[in-house]
Amino acid sequence: MAFERGDDNWQESILGILRRWGVTLLVIFALLLTSTFPFTLANIGEIRPSFLLIAVYYWAVMRPSTLPPFGVFAVGLAFDLIADYPFGLSALTLVLAQWITVSQRKFLLGQSFIVMWMGFAIVAAGAGALQWAAFSLFEFHLVNIRPCIASAILTAAFFPLAVPVLSAFNSQLGGRGQGSRD
Amino acid sequence: MASRRSNKTVLQSLTLRRLAPRVTTAVLVMLSLSLMVLHKIDQQPVEKLRVALTDMMAPALAFVSDPVAQFADSFDGIKTMRTMKAENIRLQAENARLHQWYEAALRYKAENQSLKELLNVKADPTLTFVTARVVSDPGGAFVKSLLLPVGVKDNVAKGNAVMSGQGLVGRVIEAGTRSSRVLLVTDLNSHIPVVIQNTRTKAILAGKNDDLMKLERLPIDSGLSVGQRVVTSGDGGQLPPDIPVGTIVQVGPDGAFVQPLSDLERLAYVQVINADIDHSLVTGDVTPPRPKRGR
Repeated sequence: MAFERGDDNWQESILGILRRWGVTLLVIFALLLTSTFPFTLANIGEIRPSFLLIAVYYWAVMRPSTLPPFGVFAVGLAFDLIADYPFGLSALTLVLAQWITVSQRKFLLGQSFIVMWMGFAIVAAGAGALQWAAFSLFEFHLVNIRPCIASAILTAAFFPLAVPVLSAFNSQLGGRGQGSRD
Repeated sequence: MASRRSNKTVLQSLTLRRLAPRVTTAVLVMLSLSLMVLHKIDQQPVEKLRVALTDMMAPALAFVSDPVAQFADSFDGIKTMRTMKAENIRLQAENARLHQWYEAALRYKAENQSLKELLNVKADPTLTFVTARVVSDPGGAFVKSLLLPVGVKDNVAKGNAVMSGQGLVGRVIEAGTRSSRVLLVTDLNSHIPVVIQNTRTKAILAGKNDDLMKLERLPIDSGLSVGQRVVTSGDGGQLPPDIPVGTIVQVGPDGAFVQPLSDLERLAYVQVINADIDHSLVTGDVTPPRPKRGR
């Protein structure tokens, strides 16, 4: 299943790899930026969608090679630092979300968009609950769960809007299409 | 024999391939859990890392948040167009009322000045401040904090009070070279020494990760009532005294709750107060002035 290219094309393949990495890093940087915006619109100041979770889920289903678990871990840590979360909280959530999604990948791949969306809603709910529990434990204080629920709902609601953007980037990642590599 | 062996290795590599992701995940999960525990034990290293990363990200965040802020502004403009007339009438009435207050304030100021001179009060050091646009409000559900594109090079230091037009917003908890992080008064980790303005009852104002803050460590029978204003006491020397923080909105068996004066969800610009706080604000000259030589 590996590259079926001649050795004379090595320059091309290296360029391809560089481009893949460049695009991926660009998307991740954009996601990190958007996930920290001061959204002053429509009173959603404190509940914002986790675009990172959407991307992790989407890539876990469509193209797991885009972001390996170590990459997800690193992105999670970066987000924890920016958001002032307990160091490792988002990393934990994202790594587990990716693992669960990849384990259900065979089921999810052939499904309709609605089913994929449902799957994501479940993952988002689980991630929200996990974050709430872990944060409460970290602070030794049961924090308010309402913002967590609202955030999970908002994240699930943003899924159909974020997916076209992600798939546009996905097509930038190079020729090999969906599920060519596990 | 050879083929059997190769079959075996294929099998082994297959199980390895199936196991590897699980092992990686398990390792990463353990790693993040232990990082959280380490963070709980010692905040310093994480803080250093965070300041470095925030310093790096701050220009990008400022660059991107500009158009977003403008978009939000124009959106607000459209929304208020409809209510403009009613708003105008209300503002005119308020302006008239405030004019009266302004006159009163001038009178009080003059009176205050002359009384201070009588009492020989050493005046508060003039507060200097730097105004900054909020580039990011990264907190979300768990943490109430702001990111500002000003840092040590703008004289911002850890512990500085941060205000909006109405009152105290929070204080600087991390200051990088060109960025700083503000812990809002509503955060779970925010504890501010305050006094009730008219009774001078001291208390600690604790954030609850909620819209309201709670007054703690109140003396028994402190006679609180709804509507009283809460200001910083300056105790502990971290914040300047007498900065308004909020008003009491609820007094009950669960305790007294305070609503912040500023709308913390919609902060666009804030001021970082960087003053050296003088703890001996009131000094009477006890020793008689030494007679100067040559007279």
